[in-house]
Amino acid sequence: MSYNDDNKRTVEGLTAAIGAENVIEVKMPKDRRIYVTIKTEKLREAVTYLKEKEGITHLATITGTDLGEERELNYHFNRPNLILTIKVRVPGDKPIVPSITDIINGATLYEREINDLLGVFPEGHPNPKRLNLPEEWPEGVHPLLKKWDIKSLRKEVDGQEWT
Amino acid sequence: MGLVTWARTRSPWLIHFNGAACNACDIEILAALAPRFDVERFGGVLKGTPRHADVLVVSGSISRKLRSRLRRIYEQMPEPKFVVAVGSCASTGGVFQDCYNVLEGVDKVIPVSAYIVGCPPKPEAILDGVVKLLVSAGY
Amino acid sequence: MDVEASDREFTIPVGPQHPALKEPASFLFKVDGEVVVDVEPRLGYNHRGIEKAMEARTYIQDLYLVERICGICSNAHQTLYAMNVEEVAGITIPPRAKYLRTFVHELERIHSHLLWVGVAAHEIGFDTLFYYVWRDREVVLDLLEEISGNRVNYAFNAIGGVRRDVPSEKIPKFQKALDVLAERTKYYHGIAASESTILERASGVGYCSKADMLRLCGVGPHARASGVAKDTRHDHPYLAYDEVPFNVITNDGGDVLANVLVRIGELYESVGICKYVLDHLPDGPIREKYSPLAKIPEGEATNMVEAQRGEDIHYILSKGDNKPYRYKIRAPTMANIPSLMVKLKGGYIADIPIVLAGIDPCFSCTDRMVFVDESKDKVWDMNDEELRRYGIRWYQNGNNK
Repeated sequence: MSYNDDNKRTVEGLTAAIGAENVIEVKMPKDRRIYVTIKTEKLREAVTYLKEKEGITHLATITGTDLGEERELNYHFNRPNLILTIKVRVPGDKPIVPSITDIINGATLYEREINDLLGVFPEGHPNPKRLNLPEEWPEGVHPLLKKWDIKSLRKEVDGQEWT
Repeated sequence: MGLVTWARTRSPWLIHFNGAACNACDIEILAALAPRFDVERFGGVLKGTPRHADVLVVSGSISRKLRSRLRRIYEQMPEPKFVVAVGSCASTGGVFQDCYNVLEGVDKVIPVSAYIVGCPPKPEAILDGVVKLLVSAGY
Repeated sequence: MDVEASDREFTIPVGPQHPALKEPASFLFKVDGEVVVDVEPRLGYNHRGIEKAMEARTYIQDLYLVERICGICSNAHQTLYAMNVEEVAGITIPPRAKYLRTFVHELERIHSHLLWVGVAAHEIGFDTLFYYVWRDREVVLDLLEEISGNRVNYAFNAIGGVRRDVPSEKIPKFQKALDVLAERTKYYHGIAASESTILERASGVGYCSKADMLRLCGVGPHARASGVAKDTRHDHPYLAYDEVPFNVITNDGGDVLANVLVRIGELYESVGICKYVLDHLPDGPIREKYSPLAKIPEGEATNMVEAQRGEDIHYILSKGDNKPYRYKIRAPTMANIPSLMVKLKGGYIADIPIVLAGIDPCFSCTDRMVFVDESKDKVWDMNDEELRRYGIRWYQNGNNK
């Protein structure tokens, strides 16, 4: 299929643009799905390349996962016949990622959500206010982190065990 | 008091509150107003303001952010007032038990007069529950 | 009305009572007289903690939790979840299951769009239309009940296929019901295109340009109503969409009327897809075996479906257990919030209910809207019903002229 060639060319172009040494891994588990893990400091450059040279401007969402020592962020971009996921990792003790909201305006709510639920702060975001969690929810308690389970979350937030 | 008499002398004004529901119960509540099930034949009318309402119909598992809103709406209703929890979520939290932002049921926030379980309960069940409640309350 | 914007700015929080489908969401409006100058969304009222709960439940249990993310798109979410789990587990579903999933997926789209037409009509005061549409919607709900046993939340998908079959003797009856729906849709199309009440409240109201829609990553009929031809069924074919012929409906209007016309157009398309699927239903089994206690291999998958409100994307990460390590859900409405803000800016307060309804929002909202007049130091509030009536009266009094 012609889109397979287009998709491969896109990845090659991205690799050339940010430098092969900054591309940690490329996975193509099936047709139309590509996962590219890159160094976090090259995130903005990669997104800019995709927008300006490949015409890929649609960010579907940003997924964050707590992998223990690190937190992984997946930026799911797509265009017809391709879901291209850019993966970056940030250390658990310093979870900060450069914001891409000025490049892709549609990223604004997704970055705020990652901040609320996983504690990864989007540096440079114009309005990194709380999005999902209620006002009375304590600061610094990010529910999607693996260290919390439902019992310990309730204890932390309500100050007591639920009966 | 027979149902006909009740229907003639009283007309329950309902107000609906969605407490972080998935909307399944909400669309069945709205379907209860629609021509096929038609709550208006029981005199039931959906109003927009709690100050005129007899019955507060609540759906949803009640997220933390909505706790004070729900309480405020309840307090604004004049006596006598009734609260109907529609759906399994409003009764016990339903499928959202052990979700961190959910209070698991309306009765954690305000007193409930009737529980209509189901996921979602069919419009006939909702009407049945509301009518049973009003008849038992002596309307 | 000539007013200095800086002198007369009001901040109006709207919500968390959604004026349309009574879902909780709040908006803070800055207004200048009757015109909205700026908007800020405040979400989180419907945040339940589903993604976290999914990590504590097995794949089978999650099937039923995922269905209840939204009662209107419930099958779309469940289908997408099943697709993700099947991809990581290496399960290919039988062709008949693929077609049956497509059938219920489209039936759900029909029920949702009809529901929306009724709710939108209610918002502009056209209650008669609301009742007519909801009566006709019962045709679809009867079909769904006959297929799955329930009107809402069908539990239709299993991991490996579908749970119930459609017996061939029922197919003629279903075809007849679909024909009735097509005929009723034509009737509503006529009304939408010519009825002056609708045109006045919807034409030119709530505009978002194609450029803004692309910039803000909008999805679904909301995006297609601004001329963005983005439809997951066409761009990333899944289920039977690579075999079933259908059109992607767009409209360049960018306003609420365009939203109405796109959704009505999609109703026709959905009926067409359903009829095609019933005519070409392959024989064979409806599900592959999958043991409830099975662990699935390590791996990740990202998939999308075109839910009623647009592109729905889920991501799964498995570490080889019988529970997902991470499951991410981004329902379509969240992608439409930034462009919704563009639609509200520059409009009248009276337009707020119909513009909000126009994106067919699904965040579960209900509550009061607060209006703040900074220059007059006044705070007052309206609930959704009061704002809806305000809008209707405002237009009836000819304020827009």
